[in-house]
Amino acid sequence: MNKPIGKPVARTEFTQGERRWQADFDASPGAAGRVANRSGIEIKPLYTPQDWSGERYLEALGFPGEYPNTRGIYPSMHRGRSWTQRQLIGLGVPEDYNARLKELLAHGATAVSLIPCNSVFRGYDADEVPEELLGTCGTVVNTVDDMERALADIPLDKISCALNDPSPFTLLALVLAVAKRRGIAWTKITGTSNQSDCISHYVANHMFFRLALQGARRVLTDHIAFCNAQVPGWNPLSVVGQHMQQAGATPAEAMAFTLASAIQYAEDCQARGMDPDVFLPRVTFFFDISVSFFEEVAKFRAARRLWARIARERFGARDPKAWRFKFHAQSSGVDLTRQQPLNNIARVAVQAMAGIFGGLQSLHTDSYDEVVSVPTAEAARIAVATQNILREEAHLTDVIDPLGGSYYVETLTDQMQEKIEAIIARIDAAGGMYAAVGQGLVQRMIGDSAFAFQQRVERGEDTVVGVNAYQTEEDPNAYTVLEYPARERIAAQLIRLRAYKAQRSNGAATKALDALARAAQGTENVMARIVDATEAGATHGEICACLRRELGFGQPLAVV
Amino acid sequence: MAEQRPPKIIVTKIGFDGHDRGSRVVAAYLRDAGMEVVYTPPWQEIAAVVKLATEEDADVIGVSSLATDHLLVPKLMAALRAAALDDVQVIVGGIVPPKDERVLIEAGVAQVFHPGASLEAIADSVRALSATRRAQLEGSI
Amino acid sequence: MNAPRTLAERIRGGDRRALARAITAVENESAEAVSIRAALAAHLGHARVVGVTGPPGAGKSTLVNALVKELVARGRRVAVIAVDPSSPITGGAVLGDRVRMGEMQGHDAVFIRSLASRGHLGGLSRTAAQVIDVLDAAGFDEVIVETVGAGQSEVEIAKVAPTRLVVCPPGLGDDVQAIKAGILEIADLFVVNKADLPDAARTESELHAMLALRRHADQPPVLKTVATTGEGVAALADWLGARAHPGRAAPRALSTARSAPTGHMSPPMTGIQRDAAALLERLMARDAFARHLGLELVAAGAGTATVRMRVRPEHHNFWNSCHGGALFSLADTALGLASNSHGTVAALIDSHMTFSIAVKAGALLTARAEEVSRTRKLGVYRVEIRRDDGVLVAGLTGTLYRTGKALPGEA
Repeated sequence: MNKPIGKPVARTEFTQGERRWQADFDASPGAAGRVANRSGIEIKPLYTPQDWSGERYLEALGFPGEYPNTRGIYPSMHRGRSWTQRQLIGLGVPEDYNARLKELLAHGATAVSLIPCNSVFRGYDADEVPEELLGTCGTVVNTVDDMERALADIPLDKISCALNDPSPFTLLALVLAVAKRRGIAWTKITGTSNQSDCISHYVANHMFFRLALQGARRVLTDHIAFCNAQVPGWNPLSVVGQHMQQAGATPAEAMAFTLASAIQYAEDCQARGMDPDVFLPRVTFFFDISVSFFEEVAKFRAARRLWARIARERFGARDPKAWRFKFHAQSSGVDLTRQQPLNNIARVAVQAMAGIFGGLQSLHTDSYDEVVSVPTAEAARIAVATQNILREEAHLTDVIDPLGGSYYVETLTDQMQEKIEAIIARIDAAGGMYAAVGQGLVQRMIGDSAFAFQQRVERGEDTVVGVNAYQTEEDPNAYTVLEYPARERIAAQLIRLRAYKAQRSNGAATKALDALARAAQGTENVMARIVDATEAGATHGEICACLRRELGFGQPLAVV
Repeated sequence: MAEQRPPKIIVTKIGFDGHDRGSRVVAAYLRDAGMEVVYTPPWQEIAAVVKLATEEDADVIGVSSLATDHLLVPKLMAALRAAALDDVQVIVGGIVPPKDERVLIEAGVAQVFHPGASLEAIADSVRALSATRRAQLEGSI
Repeated sequence: MNAPRTLAERIRGGDRRALARAITAVENESAEAVSIRAALAAHLGHARVVGVTGPPGAGKSTLVNALVKELVARGRRVAVIAVDPSSPITGGAVLGDRVRMGEMQGHDAVFIRSLASRGHLGGLSRTAAQVIDVLDAAGFDEVIVETVGAGQSEVEIAKVAPTRLVVCPPGLGDDVQAIKAGILEIADLFVVNKADLPDAARTESELHAMLALRRHADQPPVLKTVATTGEGVAALADWLGARAHPGRAAPRALSTARSAPTGHMSPPMTGIQRDAAALLERLMARDAFARHLGLELVAAGAGTATVRMRVRPEHHNFWNSCHGGALFSLADTALGLASNSHGTVAALIDSHMTFSIAVKAGALLTARAEEVSRTRKLGVYRVEIRRDDGVLVAGLTGTLYRTGKALPGEA
């Protein structure tokens, strides 16, 4: 309840009250010492209507679902429909993945996601890489048959699919081929090309497929155009803040770099003649949620407001759907520790809460043992249960934007927005994100933040429970570590791959790959040819090799 | 001439994982600790690392591994031996389960650092290993 | 302990580890360095030594990679030395240049070595010349030296490389000023890299214009390249191949002076010159006020010193032009260095300064001090401060009293 402090008498009483409190506070034990959050914003011990008084409610906050969307992009938010419980999983061979998927769906997860093996991320088939590295961090999927087995009995027309599928988006092509086989129209397919953003991978070196950056840029724009036209329920662009934050960027930096990247992608689409009212509604974002609770809530609220303004004013979008900042968020693995790993359950719960209060659309909670290996089934179950408890026992969904109006949270939202805008301005001055990462500017900023954070932890200025404080003797057997996939299962997968290549029509596959190469050399939409190629039996590795040849091999900048 | 010759270390990643926050922070710290650091991007081939160690006459190779790339380290050790680079010291940092750590030490890795290891401890180790190697090679080419 | 003769055979026979170890010994002037250098002395003179320098952002490493690829395709064995800066505070360095080079790092015909500058000014490391010798003696056809990327002060490359490439990115803007001083004097060839960018043609003509101002007989050509695609690199390799190769005439002596290759260059430094230059570097490093003003020593020798200053807003007077005191300090620094370069204390007793034009923040000023006369007790020096377009800004004439005492801090 905010009463504007207007009348002189009231103001005097307020100031006196504040002074009394300040004196008492200064005299209390432990009152000294300045506190700043990870983005460098100083945090006071108390916030009052002096900091934020709600006079600008309509302009600064608005109602949920109404510009500038600060309180939420939909009118009903989680009270109407819960966030999607989308647990990212990827494991070994397609059959193992399918089994784990069905388990998770039975336990309450409401959507499908797929993390492929690192070899797939890097653009290779299973028979092109050292066997030890196969299937240890994700699922090996190279062919339409593999995707068929991975998604056995999963109703693709009813369940949303998130594929961790960077350029050149072969996994989506495989899913579309499977849908066609099953007689499902592509217009019924919903989901997201998770982390399809090429800039963040270049910067934070994660899952980077070795296409030269400009080649990846072109493929991404083709992909967005193809999906907008042929798979209208699909979100082809998922702009990622997670990798940069995990690489050490502060929350404000990560958000700024992400928005700046989204601006570049939107500019590319506009330059192609695409309509912002068509492509912007299908843009989604993917963020890390650190354990810095209030900072994360403020970060997301500020971003919603900023993006609405950017969409409407910078890109001229008129449809309110185009102003919506839709995002998936994941609890940050970087905040989890190997020491006293069960503590991570508490951390993940806090991170999840921050994301929920931040108004996310989709949430992944890490398993407590994520730091050590691919999660065990038990740990994965606890991660899903955490979400269920927050929603159904703590009733976090009963109120939309419950922290809205808090003197602190509104002040912090404004301050985070200022910081984010200043960084975006710096990127704009450097010529945009592509130019900035080419110069190494973004990488240096991230490296500096990472280094500063590490120094603070080493000096004990920032506490990490179990690591630099509250340490205990470690029992290495305190939890079981998942074994790597049995070598026989990997061997069997390799045999199946060989058999697949022998049985398909090599002529058809080669012809389709040639057509893909020609498209890459010219201006034809490359994504359409990738989809054709998968239907003609070409494998993921073959498609990637073709594009590497045509569009160039990329090197990330090694900046220390 | 009295040598103020700093330790020379290669900080690299072999295998597929691309998370390089740890290796960047370590490289920056070692540089600030006065060492000469050859820092590579991730996804280095083993043969490339061997060539690098040969040409730069590195004292230590620091391998950063997050996913399961440490499983390739025994192959790196074998390649170093084949190139007559037995004297080059190798340390590994990252996520290495206990039973895999034993395998690495047996393959010749000097030390394995786990998450939470202090940067100063890593720097001390590099200094010590570098001194050991130089003492070993004293006077020979 | 290995007998040096066997070592020379091992190195010339392709033993890369022996070569790398020999480089380490020579780089660090270890106990074996002298005998190694002696053992290799007979094999010098075959390699063509090329220096590559330029401002950051020019894409030097990518260009070197593309050039190496072209040379290897032509059957040449290529060695590359990449010099990276050491931190003046911690002494450490990240040797990142070679890693940025790309695919040619893995090629058998290529050998790459990083050197940290270790506090040495001018773009190289102290023993870079000796390391070049080792690679020359090892039998490489080409030795490419990529210097620290600051651009302005890389004149030292002139001492070790008969052929000097200056690589510029398009759209330099302010950095065109950086190209003018120092680097302009030593370049044999300018390469405008990233020539596919829109500003490339303008940068090319700006370079031509700057070169025309110098009124020298032989103008270095300007080539355009796109290092990422290889465009223009064949022409670059052709140009290198066509240059007269000093090494072919006779074996070069162990590195003392490098040959002075082109007409518009100062003659190679003698031992006395080099000692004076080294002394002035040390003195400059101790001058707190010079550092405070942002002064930079660009050239030094016996009786001469060139100091540069970029005018900043902090140097302004109440008319928003450069304070006369700042100009005097610039000239006085150059004069002080030049007059103390003979190794004994010289103190200014009288001076006269004339100011010709006003300059503002952003201007790049070069003060060159020359000895006019010198007796046992007195020295007269003249300093001219010129702006980067050559216009005279101010002149100082000073008389100094030479005490004959050794300089404090110098043995």
